Amino acid sequence: MSLIASVILAPLVAAVLILLLRRAAVALALLGASIALLASIALLSDAFSGVTGELLLPGLPGMPLRLIATPLTALLSTLVAIIAGLVLVYAVGYMRQDDEPVRFFATLLLFIAAMQTLVLAGDWVLLLAAWELIGLCSYLLIGFWYRRSGVGSAASRAFLYTRSADLGLYLAAFILIAEAGSSDIATTLNTGGGAAIAAGLLLLVAAMGKSAQTPLHDWLQRAMAGPTPVSALLHSATLVAAGAILLIRTTPMLPAETLLVVGVVGGITTVVTGLIALGERDLKRLLAASTSSQYGLMLVAVGAGVPLAALLHLIAHAAIKSSLFLGAGVFQHGRESTALTKLQGAGRERPRIFLAFALAALALAGIPPLSGFFSKDAIIAATLASPTALLLTPFALAGTLLTGAYMARALRVLWHGDRQQRPIAGLGWMAAGLAGLVTLAVTLGAAFPAIETLLDSTLPVSTLAQVLGLSAALAGLALGWLVPAPRLLGPLLPWARQGFAIAGGFDAWIVRPAFAIARGCERVERGLYAAVLAVGRLGLAIGQAARRSDDRGIDGLIFALVRGMVDLGNRARTLQSGLIHREMAITVVATAVILSVLLATSLFR
Amino acid sequence: MLPIVSITLFLPLLGALLVMALRRSPASIAHLIGIVTSGLTLLGALWMWSRGVNETGFAQVEELAWMPAIGAAYRVGVDGISLPLVLLSAVLFFLSFIYSAKVKQRPHAYVVLMLLLETAAIGTFTALDAILFYVFFEVSLVSMYFMIAGWGHEDRQRAALMFFIYTLLGSLPLLLAILGMYLGSEPQTFDMRAWIDNPPLSGSAAMLALAAMLFTFAVKIPVFPFHTWLPAAHVQAPAAGSVILAGVMLKFGTYGLVRFSLQMTPEAFREAGIIVLAFGVVAALYGAFAALAQSDLKRMIALTSVNHMGYVVVGVAIAALAVDPAVRATALDGSVLQMVSHGLVTGALFLLVGMLQDRAHTREMDRFGGLLKVTPILGWSFVLAAFASLGLPGLAHFPAEFQIFLATLRVEPVAVVVILGIVVTAGLYLRAIGKVFLGEPREQWIGMKDLNAREVLSLAPLLILIVVVGIAPALLLDVIHKTTAALQF
Repeated sequence: MSLIASVILAPLVAAVLILLLRRAAVALALLGASIALLASIALLSDAFSGVTGELLLPGLPGMPLRLIATPLTALLSTLVAIIAGLVLVYAVGYMRQDDEPVRFFATLLLFIAAMQTLVLAGDWVLLLAAWELIGLCSYLLIGFWYRRSGVGSAASRAFLYTRSADLGLYLAAFILIAEAGSSDIATTLNTGGGAAIAAGLLLLVAAMGKSAQTPLHDWLQRAMAGPTPVSALLHSATLVAAGAILLIRTTPMLPAETLLVVGVVGGITTVVTGLIALGERDLKRLLAASTSSQYGLMLVAVGAGVPLAALLHLIAHAAIKSSLFLGAGVFQHGRESTALTKLQGAGRERPRIFLAFALAALALAGIPPLSGFFSKDAIIAATLASPTALLLTPFALAGTLLTGAYMARALRVLWHGDRQQRPIAGLGWMAAGLAGLVTLAVTLGAAFPAIETLLDSTLPVSTLAQVLGLSAALAGLALGWLVPAPRLLGPLLPWARQGFAIAGGFDAWIVRPAFAIARGCERVERGLYAAVLAVGRLGLAIGQAARRSDDRGIDGLIFALVRGMVDLGNRARTLQSGLIHREMAITVVATAVILSVLLATSLFR
Repeated sequence: MLPIVSITLFLPLLGALLVMALRRSPASIAHLIGIVTSGLTLLGALWMWSRGVNETGFAQVEELAWMPAIGAAYRVGVDGISLPLVLLSAVLFFLSFIYSAKVKQRPHAYVVLMLLLETAAIGTFTALDAILFYVFFEVSLVSMYFMIAGWGHEDRQRAALMFFIYTLLGSLPLLLAILGMYLGSEPQTFDMRAWIDNPPLSGSAAMLALAAMLFTFAVKIPVFPFHTWLPAAHVQAPAAGSVILAGVMLKFGTYGLVRFSLQMTPEAFREAGIIVLAFGVVAALYGAFAALAQSDLKRMIALTSVNHMGYVVVGVAIAALAVDPAVRATALDGSVLQMVSHGLVTGALFLLVGMLQDRAHTREMDRFGGLLKVTPILGWSFVLAAFASLGLPGLAHFPAEFQIFLATLRVEPVAVVVILGIVVTAGLYLRAIGKVFLGEPREQWIGMKDLNAREVLSLAPLLILIVVVGIAPALLLDVIHKTTAALQF
């Protein structure tokens, strides 16, 4: 079995086995994830030695399915496998109290398999399939506690938001396949002209849905209804990452106009969702808004034409954000809530967890020598070097400033307050997973040069970027620590707390019109039905009328005929008198008549 | 060589005669005969499948003189378009018999009607003689009429009558078109193969014949605004009747659209293609939105059929309009696969709603809640079938719809607006799942029983096939593509 297949098959088979056996879920899950991890590391080392793995599978006629391990895809695959593995370790502890481990671990592994497929997909059909499947898995995971109120609607909303945006991916794939005559992604990246602009913008729409970019950012915060390990996974290297990964992979095709739009969307998102995070009253929702904001920064990097900077930030962010969520999950178990008011002082009662959380927070803010510093620096340098520097650099700096502010705010809440010690089940597993991820969050920066070599691409270097970035980060941290958020936000606060919904948001713009159309169709439906029934009744009425006329007319005629026949019979009976001579006479007369008629006809012929 | 097509075709009829002969036997015997006969028929269909299809034209042709004076004969055979539908019919009838084994009310008549319907269905798909086709096409109507009228729900009489009148009136124009093509063919024959190889009509005569056929098939498929019989019939029909009606009988319309309209009047279809395409797009979107407005589960699923069959109409119209043979093949591949997928998925959904109704005696989604906890097998099966119906990759509808949409974009980019349907169907299914299965279980449904063995046996094969077709569509597409790639018109 090829390496590339085992990356996907290991978690998939483990998921199926868990579902069938309904026991040993934890062991099977860890086993499946470990095999996938080993296989993806092997793929990566192959990529380092210049080997490209590829696997063709039968798909649609003329469009085979293709898995491909290039340096980029192998790197992403390894990232997914590592983060997923550590989150899984954490989840073993976190889900200890839950009574449905079978369903949880099976879905989680299915999700990992789908994400690996997405990362390694080499053709549009498979990419699209995996793209939608991670949507399904996230629906199942967000809706894991489906009996709680509001959970079902949060899951549905996540699926619907992303599916609406997925239409962009469908259309982009159709355009690219039609232009290139092939569904191979690498081939289609040679597309140019109007098709490339259109496809690029459509890809951006799809990415905005998955990566929760403004104005499609609202579903991500609601997705916090799922278990915390799910949030940690969804928000780091998987679901949300898909959008950025898509853009990073297709950057070579994107024309300047499209890149500019990508950068502006990312820039707006990083500011808007950064402000939302600053005004948030719930730790998990704060982290969710921050995810959108960080992905906005990645889009800014793509817009600046340096996908490598976006990729590095994606890698660093994956480790950082999953650490933050895992830390938040521990505090949540301790206080049974994620509301910031309930979490006051939660950090103080578990200093080691708090230390991990704080390190990740500082890494996200971009403090050297933590990983986030290098990736954020790369993004700011990329914007400075791009032709649209004047537009993009302020966005990147504002995003950095806001990151510092909301992380400092979270740290302050967790540190200030009363201690209340409560035992937490499964803390060992949780701490192990968290420790692994925080180590990555701290040290990943050291691996960046190797990644540059692997991808054969270099980053723009700029001292100005470092100075600007660091000062923005420090200023943000100071503001967030010293000034309460409501004062920072000022008049923006109420709007930020509504998620900057414009005139009612998704519900007002999409859901209500859809239902209005649906009701219109239903009215047409009833009208048509009534019309058909009316035609039917008309037919019946005509039938009734016909029957009445039958009664009088036709029936009357028939009865008259019958009476006539009876009369005739009666009269005929008088002929049958039994008197031989009379009958003979009748016979002779009749024969004469017949003969004369026959004669006459033959004469006239 | 064994005439396996004819054997498969008439096995159900034999079974029906047997049940009639044994009409004093207990109900279980009648059901057993139904299950065994349809099981053997399924084996026959699989045998046909293993024999495969030819590169061009029809395979496994069996002929017998019938009315030589007028050029009508008993002719049956299959190609890559009809063979998958034969197999689908055989699967759905077999599973419907398993599901129906609980029917206590006049079981003999029920089994006889179902078996008669099965012969009519397989006959419609395999007939290569227009008269034979028309006979089977009409016989199916009669059986389904009695099915709804005899074993349906509250308002069954009216629904059955509406169904019958609608589709009977609808099929008269087809008869006229068939006669027209007979008169136009040289030498005069009812052999459909001759009509396909050499379209008998041209010019305005062909256009008239096409219009007549389109009307018939539009009623049958059904296409907006000729679809009103469908929700009424489905809501009232017994669950197995709905499965057959949606899974098999709607395909008569789309099959006819390909076999007759597209293959026998290709020039006229190309000219009228845009109109047909518009009808398809409107039907698909209308069906999706109308389904979104429903609160009755069965009615909702019935209306999603209008949506899914609308995609088939779009695919066939695109095939007619396409200039590039490769694109045309893609469109037809998608359309034929969509027919099979719809049969599997909607079949499963109607079975599930039937099971739900057997337990709760209601189909109103607002009256349920939290059933996933109470009846997990039923619930998860519904979730799987619903996600298949909304076109999720890895499940049966995705490969079909992907090909239809792809070909649409290449031929008539504006029509790709039809893709909005997949978001609307996603919305309506998630809403239904949320209302019926998520949340805290309601007091009154706490004691509801999960699926029993009979129900699982009838449902599980469908769910497995949905996944298999979704993951490995090549299993079907290899056969379908063989024919669609070689079509000449």
